Amino acid sequence: MNGTDIEIAICGSAGDGTIATGDILNKAMARAGYRVITFDVYPAEIRGFGKCVARTRITTDTVYSMKEKTDVLVSLNDGYAIAHVGEVRDFGAVIYDDAPILNLQEGDHISGHVKAGQLPYGLPLREISERATGGAKSRNMVVLGYLAGLYGMPHDAFVETIAEKFRTKPRAVTEGNIAAFEFGHDEGVNAFKLDFIEFGKPASVNRNIVMMDGNSAVVRGCLDAGIDMVFGYPITPATSILESLAEELPRRGGRFLQTEDEIAAISATIGAAYTGARTATATSGPGFTLMTEMMGLGVMAEVPCVIFVSQRGGPSTGMPTKTEQSDLNLAVYGAAGDGQRIVLAPTNVEGCYRCAGRAFEMAERYQTPVVVLLDLYLSNRFETVNLPARNPFKQDLVKGFAKRAKNKPYQRFALTADNVSPRALPGQAGGVHTITGLEHNEGGRPRDDSDTHASMTVKRHEKLKPAVNHPGISITKRFGDFGKVDIGLITWGSTFGESLAAMLTAQEEGISCAAMKVVMMSPLPVDAIKAFTDDCRVLLVPELNYEGQFANILTSAVPREIHRINQVPGMPMRVEDILAEVRRLAKPKKKRKAA
Amino acid sequence: MSDLREPVYLEEKLSEIQESGRLSHRSSSLPTWCPGCGYFSITEGVVSALTRLEIPDNDVVIVSGIGCASRFPFFMNTYGFHTLHGRTLPVATGIKMANDDLSVLAIGGDGDGFAIGGNHIPHAARRNVNITYLLFDNGIYGLTKGQTSPTTVVGFKTKTTPFENRDQPLNPLLMLLSYGASWVGQAYAGHTHHLADMITAAMAHEGFSYLHILSPCVTFDKTSMTYKNLGMMVRDLPEDHDSTDLIAAMTQAQDTDTPGLGLFYKESRPTLSDNLDDIARTAGGLEPQTSQAAE
Repeated sequence: MNGTDIEIAICGSAGDGTIATGDILNKAMARAGYRVITFDVYPAEIRGFGKCVARTRITTDTVYSMKEKTDVLVSLNDGYAIAHVGEVRDFGAVIYDDAPILNLQEGDHISGHVKAGQLPYGLPLREISERATGGAKSRNMVVLGYLAGLYGMPHDAFVETIAEKFRTKPRAVTEGNIAAFEFGHDEGVNAFKLDFIEFGKPASVNRNIVMMDGNSAVVRGCLDAGIDMVFGYPITPATSILESLAEELPRRGGRFLQTEDEIAAISATIGAAYTGARTATATSGPGFTLMTEMMGLGVMAEVPCVIFVSQRGGPSTGMPTKTEQSDLNLAVYGAAGDGQRIVLAPTNVEGCYRCAGRAFEMAERYQTPVVVLLDLYLSNRFETVNLPARNPFKQDLVKGFAKRAKNKPYQRFALTADNVSPRALPGQAGGVHTITGLEHNEGGRPRDDSDTHASMTVKRHEKLKPAVNHPGISITKRFGDFGKVDIGLITWGSTFGESLAAMLTAQEEGISCAAMKVVMMSPLPVDAIKAFTDDCRVLLVPELNYEGQFANILTSAVPREIHRINQVPGMPMRVEDILAEVRRLAKPKKKRKAA
Repeated sequence: MSDLREPVYLEEKLSEIQESGRLSHRSSSLPTWCPGCGYFSITEGVVSALTRLEIPDNDVVIVSGIGCASRFPFFMNTYGFHTLHGRTLPVATGIKMANDDLSVLAIGGDGDGFAIGGNHIPHAARRNVNITYLLFDNGIYGLTKGQTSPTTVVGFKTKTTPFENRDQPLNPLLMLLSYGASWVGQAYAGHTHHLADMITAAMAHEGFSYLHILSPCVTFDKTSMTYKNLGMMVRDLPEDHDSTDLIAAMTQAQDTDTPGLGLFYKESRPTLSDNLDDIARTAGGLEPQTSQAAE
């Protein structure tokens, strides 16, 4: 890569403004025309405890994951940042507050931990902040200014972003923050530069390229798909989807309700969907567990609705602010009985937008609940995304009913060629019917004879099969070498980015390698997966769960050995871990460069 | 004169009656309840209310949970949603929020509402969702054949309290009054005309209306809430009862030995949809209100 590719990590404690600083950095660089991908780590507590790390990778070309090593580490709290010094590459920079702190034990100051070959920049952050604003609270803005000055990052983009960020606050707050930024900036411009980190020219500014996190992309997808109504109950890391829609829906004549629990959220979603509205709810694993019974009713009564599930560490309450991919089984199999539903799992922020919009189309087209499976890493990470200039989503796909003759009453669950029955919506004359979670005949009346149960079970499964060919979405995609390859990575969800990065490096090392991302987890696109696996000598599935949930699902479709990388670190998988496994499994062919 | 030796099948008879127009609002499915069940008269009451209020069948959605009472939608010629155990109210809330033109009737039994579904009642009440909740209280689990319910009286023997029930029964009226329901009334399945009047009044109310209907289970309760006992216990609310006085309503509701029949409490306040529309107007998503809509 010839252009810019720099990763900056800002580390502090909750309350230092760490995440806010990272946010301004991301937005300013995106505003200046760079591609940005970020991942923040923060504690479940709001203030006073816990480590926050805001990571940003700034590039001129599109990338799919964070870097293996950080270029610049900024410490707002040495106690937490010391552990991250080892992540800084050789000749990378460590920026910290060099003011002597009272009651400091030996070894508590980060300057004593900077390794040989790493380049230390100390400056009196607190003192500069006090000079600029009269208080120590703006240390984060000082360090942001210092970064911008030191590396010649676009000054005006930062000032505009800071003004935008604090637009709802009193003017003095904005002015104070900008003053702190300017003081830091002067310091940075005048500092003696030790490293060779430089920002190249950004790509030209494209108005369709915006920076957003996965949850915001979901919201954009919902709004573009013409969502009418949302019900939800707060839960990390899905809450921001609900919060944004609570603000956006009333502005568009839509409605939002925070319900008393997740059961009520999905119940009201299904109720509203029964009337023909486009509705959704958003939750995480623990809330989704509560929703599965009602989702099963949605499958049985053929009610279209969308459920966004952002996974976090489990089981039970687990790790609310840590990422994991361990709710796949729940999404694909959860609930009583044979109850297949559609499950989509986007792999990046742009995918969140597309999956969200297409989920509404699919729900309506196939009359089924659709689960969109995100994870904390995807929900919270910012990326610069290229949104389509024209709204790509189809608005009304309800299969309506034609009024029948008087002696032939309307049948809600009529067996048809494509197994999707014409739908009458409450209020429509001539369409009265009752839907139920009981097994029922074509007219919707409760029946439990073998023939009815058999034919209706077939109907509910067969109608979903065409979903793998749903237009406007790539539910599988192949990357890397064409034709027969040595190593084939099959990946899903947010781990795709790291897998692709590992594949690209492996290719550079001369390993014959390809990767496939699978976006539709149910029904599984078996033909496309088989076509790919037939080309691969070795299959490898990296995923952030202990049980190998996707690998297990794949085993039913591809009866051959599947190698796995299963990790539960609560963080994204490291590219080097995937790479190491690819190297280990690769056929020893020719002499390769050492990593 | 008909030939009495020919067998008469009820389902055929019902279709015949229905075609004659005498059983509008009813579907061709025969109720699955036991002969003598109080729910038949409740059904008659709903039919009467729909007729009197002149609501077309296709504008009505009847939402129910699970239990004997919850089979209700199948027997009506309206839109219906037979949902999950306890989830009647949130589903009904979603339906009403999505389409305010629909008349939404939520129906469930004492177990469905106050045991598994207890978490939803306060929230439907405080939000003032513009729906009518008919609670069929027979003090027993009938569909699972005779287990204790949250309104089973102390001392009663059921299959899961084979010695006797010692759990204090809930006082649903007192609960609904304190939850902020804007219309609270009680009726008895044995007083069919009064029952029909109460259902009509509940459905006519703008806001969350709760009608508690005492109804005997003739199969699993031969000693406690029987027609004979209830018939002796129930009384009309005093003529001077002020239904705008919450404290008076609560005092009346505390008398469970002689349950009062009639309208306990009624207040007029904005419904959930009124409030959501108001918020949407403030947010700019709806046109400002015209003078005629205000009432």
